[in-house]
Amino acid sequence: MTFRLVLLAAALTVAVPAIAKPVVGQPAPDFSVTDAAGKTQSLSAYKGKTVVLEWNNPECPFVRKHYGAENMQSQQAAATKDGVVWLTVNSGAQGKQGHLDPTSAVAYIDKVGGKESAYLLDADGKVGHAYDAKTTPHMYVIDKDGVLRYMGGIDSIASTDVDDIPKATQYVTQALGELAAGKPVSVSSSEPYGCSVKYGS
Amino acid sequence: MTIGRCGTGFVLGIMLAGSATAAAPPTRETPEVSGDDHVSVELISEHMTLTPGQSQQLGLLLHHEAHWHTYWINPGDSGLPTTLAWALPEGFKAADIAWPLPKRFDVGGLYNFGYEGEAVLPIALSVPADAKPGSTAHLSVDAKWLVCREECIPGKKTLTLDLPVIATTDAAKPDGRWTMQFAHARLAEPQASAWKGATRADGDRIAVTLTGPGLPEKAEGLDAFVEERKFVDNKPPAIRKDGEALVVEFAKSEYFTTPPESYDLVVTQPAAAGVRGWRIQVPFAATAAP
Repeated sequence: MTFRLVLLAAALTVAVPAIAKPVVGQPAPDFSVTDAAGKTQSLSAYKGKTVVLEWNNPECPFVRKHYGAENMQSQQAAATKDGVVWLTVNSGAQGKQGHLDPTSAVAYIDKVGGKESAYLLDADGKVGHAYDAKTTPHMYVIDKDGVLRYMGGIDSIASTDVDDIPKATQYVTQALGELAAGKPVSVSSSEPYGCSVKYGS
Repeated sequence: MTIGRCGTGFVLGIMLAGSATAAAPPTRETPEVSGDDHVSVELISEHMTLTPGQSQQLGLLLHHEAHWHTYWINPGDSGLPTTLAWALPEGFKAADIAWPLPKRFDVGGLYNFGYEGEAVLPIALSVPADAKPGSTAHLSVDAKWLVCREECIPGKKTLTLDLPVIATTDAAKPDGRWTMQFAHARLAEPQASAWKGATRADGDRIAVTLTGPGLPEKAEGLDAFVEERKFVDNKPPAIRKDGEALVVEFAKSEYFTTPPESYDLVVTQPAAAGVRGWRIQVPFAATAAP
């Protein structure tokens, strides 16, 4: 009986992948969401490409740390130059800190010099909840087969100090380098640090 | 640093901060906490004097604006613990923060652990035996914190205290301004317990069974926290009595990688004076690893 229940639970998990929490080594949840340019973006459209997801809230001090020091933009530029798709996601609900509408999102990208492939507007938090995104920033790296290869913090030093960036291991850069070299990702998860994602109720 | 904030929420915050002031102990003025800081931070000492060879209590006194909080050693899903970097005269030594019992904050379905209202983070200061009576010791600390409501603001400040060193034969002079604060800090300190803890990891659950003298008789109202990160999920655990034993069942952290040899569990219980609680180091047997 218990065994059957386990099987049933496993079957349900497979049938409704959005409910399952993302697991490194498993297929990353697919999504469909509109970006700041009004275009629909889905993970499945990027099969064959490595994808980075970055959770963003323009007003969060941890996000400001990495944008203020150009750390995030330079990682975006380096990754997209290598053919990686970089999707920045804003799951801030309407009325919450950092929520952006399409116009303000375009203005924000322009202001900070964002080099991401697209900026996804996830005000209803669907993508955020599918990935169990907790903080801004919170980072995910998905390989060419759609398998999650890294989830966690942008780097190894949890702080709001810009001075810590050069001392920290940049986990996304490291994971992308290892994937490109056909190596296993040495640090495949780390506890994310930052502001809480401002979901609606 | 200015951060966009919701106008009505801010006004409400001020009003609530006002009512909290009225209820505060009448020993002294509660500082105004408003504007962009959202928390006032002070370095305080239980005594106005330093005695050579003694361990004395210092404290980081935090006054949070209503609805704002700072963090425990494990901040939970987001946030950062408060950190202190000391610059002390030779021979003086400050211990790590003796973290008071934390409170759980639900931030839109994510959980944080920390402090609100008035809180003291106690620090034990050892005064060297050869500290010279008649001299003044300059104690300086760089404090860094993150204060959050939903939005977060990092803060830092260098705090100093100049205290006279007295002879070991002189009586130490308590500082009457902080008597209440240090008394509250003692109540908020996790008590050592003679309990025994056993851990069972089962799939994505981590269950701790506590046995021993003086366990709470009921599970109602209890909460439990783990100091180590990347171990248990930050949602409230399920707590139940199993005969005389108390069972605390956590979901395993998604970021769990290596099982620790042991971990520090804090159990809290509502009490007349706010909250009381216990701290226990629980072994995590390698064989229990999933």
